[in-house]
Amino acid sequence: MFKHITLATLAAGLVTAAGLAQANDDTIKVGMSGGYFPFTFVEQDKLQGFEVDVLTAVAEEMGVEVEFVTANFSGLFGMLESGRIDTIANQITITEERTAKYLFTEPYVYDGAQVVIREGNEAIHSVEDLKGKTVAVNLGSNYEQLLNELPYADEIEIRTYESNIEQDTALGRVDAFVMDRVSASQVIKEKPLPLALAGQPFSEIKNALPFRNSDEDRALRDRVDAALSRLRESGALTAISEEWFGTDITRP
Amino acid sequence: MSVLDVDYMLGLVPVLLRYLPLTLQMATVGMLLALILACGLAVIRVLQIPGLNAATLLFISFFRGTPLLVQLFLFYYGLPQLLAFLTQINGVTATIMGLTLHFSAYMAESIRAAIVGVDRSQTEAALSIGMTNGQLMRRIVLPQATRVAVPTLMNYFIDMIKATSLAFTLGVTELMGATQKEAAGSFLYFEAFITVALFYWGIVELLAWLQRRLEARLNEAYRR
Repeated sequence: MFKHITLATLAAGLVTAAGLAQANDDTIKVGMSGGYFPFTFVEQDKLQGFEVDVLTAVAEEMGVEVEFVTANFSGLFGMLESGRIDTIANQITITEERTAKYLFTEPYVYDGAQVVIREGNEAIHSVEDLKGKTVAVNLGSNYEQLLNELPYADEIEIRTYESNIEQDTALGRVDAFVMDRVSASQVIKEKPLPLALAGQPFSEIKNALPFRNSDEDRALRDRVDAALSRLRESGALTAISEEWFGTDITRP
Repeated sequence: MSVLDVDYMLGLVPVLLRYLPLTLQMATVGMLLALILACGLAVIRVLQIPGLNAATLLFISFFRGTPLLVQLFLFYYGLPQLLAFLTQINGVTATIMGLTLHFSAYMAESIRAAIVGVDRSQTEAALSIGMTNGQLMRRIVLPQATRVAVPTLMNYFIDMIKATSLAFTLGVTELMGATQKEAAGSFLYFEAFITVALFYWGIVELLAWLQRRLEARLNEAYRR
């Protein structure tokens, strides 16, 4: 009997694999972490957030289906690279390194890098105060690079995490974490962790959707870009932003 | 911090129940495939089949010598760069592959020990009444070896169930992945992680109960 179960499972596996291989034009596969409140997060098993709404609107505008694939943030670029997803909607900041490797759409979020501390931490009031401190960032995010570009970078101890940087800062294991201003303010406002913003954002960041650098994917990128700009003109992007943040983060 | 949010934990239960089948499926299929593979490897080692024996040693050495997480990343993100068709393997299949290969390397050694542990005199007795090597294995050695191997094999199965939590790194949302995502949305870390811990614990306790029953049955013939 075991043999039959095994064969059936293998067969099922192969069928699934074959289904994956027939990636077609009428579905866009979008990767996200599902763990970046309020851009992409899960509550009661329901994937939601700003990114979900934007990409759903984009797909609708393009007349295609959208399929969301969730994975750890550090695994997302691997999935893009190996062709398992078409793009990543997880507030991917346009950086030099990434531009060299990927095709980006026009930015659809303008934001800033923000230092966040445990509530009541009087030692840190701005990014300059990070000198000699321990700072958490998400693995694979561009905030590690932003910190490394600071003139006193060698005096900062950077810790990279797969997830839960907010919790480790709240617990006091690190002195601060760096994330985008918009989601940090939202976490502080709506969630029970004792956190506070430290000073003003220290670097402007522009976020967009990355695609693989191939002819086929360039065409897809162009279609997504066109849909994004129509959504911008119709005010739909602004409306989604207002809904999640009470302000328009989709314009500079 | 506030006190334990019990309502939130209760709300998580139905969510986690939805992901439980996937976790169990990956572990069960992985275990069955690993058992088959491990038996083959163990027999090769016991009979010292030339050529195959060396290959088996290399296999066991590699899959015991590298972390499961490294193997999973190798199959899922690394090898597809060399072998394009591997991109068609989804996260669930890659996880099952990883669990199978990783744990079969350990299990092969347990099974080999169990086979070797069957008293030599039984082999001699079986051969003296004209049994073939195949009959000897099937009728005399393996039934006795099974009884000895069950506790250690069950240990590996328990380990494998918990190891499925690594599948989230390959984009497979199973028990742990679902919990991590819920925790990242609610920021109620203690509640989320203690709930999932109770889930794993419950599964393993259930298995331990099954193991006791299985062992009792296997030991019936040895009761004096």
